[in-house]
Amino acid sequence: MTAQEVRLCGLLLQEHFGEVVEKVGRNLLKSGTQNLRAIVHETGLSVDLVKKSLCVLMQHGACSFIQGRKGPGSPTEYKAHCDRMLRILRYPRYIYTAKTLYGDTGELIIEELLQRGHMTMSNTVKTVADRLTQSMDEGSSMDYGEVSSTFSKLVETHFLQRCPPAVGAGTTGSSQTANSTSAAPASSTAPTPESFPDCYRVPQVTLIGRSKRPLASEEGEDQRNAKKAKMDPETHGDEGIYWQVNFERFHQHFRDQTIISAVANKLDQTSSEIVRTMLRMSEVTTSSTAPCTKPLSANEIFRSLPSTYNIPRHILDQYLTLLVDDPVGPPHLKYHSDFYLNQALANLARATLESIVQERFGSRSARIFRLLLRKRHLEQKQVEDFAMIPAKEAKDMLYTLLSQNLVQLQEIPKTPDFAPSRTFYLYTVNQLPTARLLLQNCYKTVANLMERRLFEAKESKRLLEKSQRIEAILASLQASGAEPEQLTEVEEMITAPEKQQLDSLRLHVNKLDSAENQVDETIFLLESYISSSTKPTS
Amino acid sequence: MAGRGRGRRPFGTDPSISRGEGLPPGLQQPTPVFPVMEQKPLPLAGGEEAEYLLALKQDFRGVMKNLPFFIKPAAAQRDVQRYSDKYHSSEQTNSLTDWNLDWRRFPRELQVHIRRRVREGLAFSTMDSSVPVQKKKKKEEEEVLLKLETLEKKEEHEQSSEEEEGGVKKKPEEEEGAEAEEEYDEEELEEETDYIMSYFDNGEEFGGDSDDNMDEAIY
Repeated sequence: MTAQEVRLCGLLLQEHFGEVVEKVGRNLLKSGTQNLRAIVHETGLSVDLVKKSLCVLMQHGACSFIQGRKGPGSPTEYKAHCDRMLRILRYPRYIYTAKTLYGDTGELIIEELLQRGHMTMSNTVKTVADRLTQSMDEGSSMDYGEVSSTFSKLVETHFLQRCPPAVGAGTTGSSQTANSTSAAPASSTAPTPESFPDCYRVPQVTLIGRSKRPLASEEGEDQRNAKKAKMDPETHGDEGIYWQVNFERFHQHFRDQTIISAVANKLDQTSSEIVRTMLRMSEVTTSSTAPCTKPLSANEIFRSLPSTYNIPRHILDQYLTLLVDDPVGPPHLKYHSDFYLNQALANLARATLESIVQERFGSRSARIFRLLLRKRHLEQKQVEDFAMIPAKEAKDMLYTLLSQNLVQLQEIPKTPDFAPSRTFYLYTVNQLPTARLLLQNCYKTVANLMERRLFEAKESKRLLEKSQRIEAILASLQASGAEPEQLTEVEEMITAPEKQQLDSLRLHVNKLDSAENQVDETIFLLESYISSSTKPTS
Repeated sequence: MAGRGRGRRPFGTDPSISRGEGLPPGLQQPTPVFPVMEQKPLPLAGGEEAEYLLALKQDFRGVMKNLPFFIKPAAAQRDVQRYSDKYHSSEQTNSLTDWNLDWRRFPRELQVHIRRRVREGLAFSTMDSSVPVQKKKKKEEEEVLLKLETLEKKEEHEQSSEEEEGGVKKKPEEEEGAEAEEEYDEEELEEETDYIMSYFDNGEEFGGDSDDNMDEAIY
């Protein structure tokens, strides 16, 4: 956990869960695994607040607990997961992807699950159906079956997965399958959700009917009904089975989308369709961490192409050959084609690095950078010659890049005493460490953007509160049917310069927010590249 | 590690200083807060998708603030103790009771025992979120009624039972009060007051606006 990551996680927790949870989360991130008393002591908060915050963090998967690590009598210890907290940045992208793939229902399901951490299927279906009913016209309501079927589709394509059953939470006789029970009281590694065979099995849920539209006229009755619903929860046959969003699957989807659009940009639409078909065919069969997809024969690809693309077989072969020769993540053509995903990611990351250098230092520095990436090690004289840049400027640019740590210097001595006149000084770029450096820069960027946004909101807090109050007054006046003069009178309570200030504040906040979203795309790419190249290849 | 250890370069071979030049002059003041950038950054990506993502993000943040997961810190202590404080402090604890945890997935030690309003030395009742509230209340009511009956029988004999009775009678009263609370809900909570919570606003937050950016004169 680097300092930038901790800072960013702290800001994300503060925005979404409040300052108390932020303090507890930060303490856990900085100090590693800790038990309850230590956390209470270090944060200085009350025991109740710390307990509540830990529950909140665990509900959202940002924290996990281990019991009995040092023997049977030792206290429960808690551990925070930094990468899980950083995912919060990407939530809008997950929700939007669900919308494009499964429509409004899918979007709301994913949104509910992200807001609540994990939920049972019946709860999710009910809540989503209620929300959909509210936005539909009067008189019609959403059927539970429709929402359930969308839920099942999400599970089938692995976008949702079951939460792993709780390990040693203090209950006995729980009838969960694939339970790791008394045999291993101190499990060293947390079981991944995928290690349980029932991970993607949809339970039998008895949930028939339609969602009820809340009646605004009969308030007393409604409240009593709501009380009843809270008091005796109806069981639908899936108690204890909780579902969570499968982030790895979404990441796989994003990666595929990026590759497809890169191919479309470089070659043409048809080749991107071919690539899309290949990736789709290996979606569920290949695990997300595999370096390359399962080999597919050209016949299979031909058969699976969507019917709108009526390209004859020999043209398909030509396209495949073209893709092989192309340096952007090519398929490897023998009798079968498989897709080297790792190489594709490396190429995408390299393109990102090059564009970052170009935007920060200018096109000529970018030319030098690209040169060094391709030619590996070059002396200063060679850099000047290959890049066709005059010596003085090339020297300047190289030293700027060197001072920013984007370019490294490698010394090769001719004599054992490293005399400078008899040593080769070669410039080089190492892609992986540079990617790591830029990833940390991205985290710092997002943290800065968030802090600036919070600062702007705090500066104009009084103005924002006033405008909110006026909006509330306006809404209530309109609901009770007021005359237009009253409305204008209320609107004039905000003076013109204040309105201007509000508008510019809104513009700034929107810009900062959307900048965060964009930086997150770069973060995703760099993270995928780094994790794919540091994995041990089996 | 260039230049350390065996490969120590003499000072004069620093590549950025040509021979005959002195050291560059030192910085006399801190670097500017917003330095001028040589390369202007590209504009942000616009378009429908970016706007939709932005809206999603802002909505999500807004919703999270109202969920029971958002834990507000304890309100800052005021300078003087006020009568209305005991009506305000109850608003906080409501948030976590809305959230029904499945305690099978969480360690036991994290269960928070909620203290009911204690009257004169009664022990506090622990309330686990998994136990439905009504059943517990009914059980306690039955116990209390039984207790009342036995006490009534002994009433003439013992004089010290007066204290006990007082304590026990207050308990059913509290139960009723608590049940009545549930029905009225919303603002008329806690301590059986007849006033809604805005009655206890002591007007300190009103008119605390600062006078910046006011174009009109103040009389």
